[in-house]
Amino acid sequence: MTTQLPPGMNIETVDDKIMTLNVGPQHPGSGHMRLIIKVDGDYIVSCDPDPGYVHRGEEKMAEYRNYIQNIPHLERPVIHDSSNILYPYCLGVEELLGIEVPERAKYIRVIAAELNRCIYILYWLAIYGIFLGHSTMFMWPAGDRELFIDLLEAMSGARVTHAYLVPGGVRNDLPSNFEERCLRQVEYFEKRLKEYEAVFYQNPLLKARTEGSGILSRTDAIRLGTTGSVLRASGVDFDVRKKEPYDVYENLDFQTIVMKEGDSYARSRVPYLEMFESCRIIKDALRKMPKSGSVRTKLKPNPKGGNDEVYRRIESGRGAIGYYIVSNNRPEPYRVKISVGSFRNLICMPYLLKGEKLGNMPAVYWGLNYWPVEADR
Amino acid sequence: MSNVIGIIRALNSGVKHLAVKRFTLRYPEQKLKFVGDGFQFNPETGVGIAGLRGRHILFHEHCTGCQLCSVACEGIAEAISMVKVHETWKHNKKAIMPQIDYGKCVFCGLCVDACPFYALYMTNDYELSSFTKSALIYTPAQLAIKPKISQDVEIKIDDRGASHG
Repeated sequence: MTTQLPPGMNIETVDDKIMTLNVGPQHPGSGHMRLIIKVDGDYIVSCDPDPGYVHRGEEKMAEYRNYIQNIPHLERPVIHDSSNILYPYCLGVEELLGIEVPERAKYIRVIAAELNRCIYILYWLAIYGIFLGHSTMFMWPAGDRELFIDLLEAMSGARVTHAYLVPGGVRNDLPSNFEERCLRQVEYFEKRLKEYEAVFYQNPLLKARTEGSGILSRTDAIRLGTTGSVLRASGVDFDVRKKEPYDVYENLDFQTIVMKEGDSYARSRVPYLEMFESCRIIKDALRKMPKSGSVRTKLKPNPKGGNDEVYRRIESGRGAIGYYIVSNNRPEPYRVKISVGSFRNLICMPYLLKGEKLGNMPAVYWGLNYWPVEADR
Repeated sequence: MSNVIGIIRALNSGVKHLAVKRFTLRYPEQKLKFVGDGFQFNPETGVGIAGLRGRHILFHEHCTGCQLCSVACEGIAEAISMVKVHETWKHNKKAIMPQIDYGKCVFCGLCVDACPFYALYMTNDYELSSFTKSALIYTPAQLAIKPKISQDVEIKIDDRGASHG
């Protein structure tokens, strides 16, 4: 007697040559997620990413809290990039409620977002280093990250979960002599950043492991819907900050980093080069920022949005983050949908890993700029 | 050959750091200096004053027991509960004041934003660890005490690199 299998399920044919490996779900270096990898000897035959182990229901939670109370929990998916994940939410709610943001607040938000982008990329780089067995590259970015954490702590009062950006501006003004302190530390960091070049990026050991592995062509990158540094490493000149400038990015002087190779090396190098651009943006914003003025528009208690919907997106450390917010005349949003870069970058992983050596898996995986908690939301 | 040069360059850039100052903060001996006396909020302008968001401080002479801090915390951490105090204040008829559970608090500071009477601020005190969960619950009397802190180390940058103090 044959038993009927439920739809969508099929019996796996056993092949003695092929072995199945579970990488994860217990924290393979970044957050809980599983990669089901089939290997033939040392070569990967197929890869099936299995996210969802750290689903926290952020979107559903947002439906029961008002627009201000949503702030502390919406930054939880990526605590080390918390200003950037709040940014599109604030832009969306401002559009829904019709709030004008003061000019100085816009500049402060850009500075906070860029400082936070550097914190994220340094953390990412540290893990990239340790994934490839390069412990100096773990120690250096983890230490230099302290420079930016120190600045954001002076700005917002918290070291990691800042809850600094709010609809209508920022929570508090910059402390006195912040500009001077920020400029000093950012300039020192730029000098420091150049040292990474010799120890990591021009290191033949890194090049041997990453160059030519996991190649994502330009057409595939567009077809698979990747975003952020993965897209730019494949030669597509797309940055939300340039193409759909929000707040004051159109006044600031920076350029998009694009590399043509599309391999793991390019994907590891694009975020590094972006940190130089972030430093440029911070210095430019400090110069152009109005020296005084209001930083927060006062909101009514329990502000209500009309019968409306809005979609706003920004460029985060991992790619475009978009918020789709629907309101229905209540203090709480009717629906909040977060579209994150991590999840879209994960989609191309099975294509990249096919035919790769198992030892290259960490470099390909982490080069995708994937953050499990953000993808699961 | 270029590989050998590359490796030597990488090693050399690491070896140079033997002469560079150590960046590490030696924590229990050294403590970072923060901006101001902690996060505060001005209800008139609706803008906060920059500072570290650490343990709260409650001014009993300003607290009216209006529960707005507790309402603000609902749905975020639910760390604030209003408790009876054995004090008589003209402006606090119900004689209730916030009690904060630091096992739940996420230090977002939205309770400070909610207080319209200049009664609840945050301080630079962040060393709140304890051996029991019940010791993490701070009563209004405990919250009124101004913390004694000695934090004086800052990031210093010179030709020999950055260091703490």
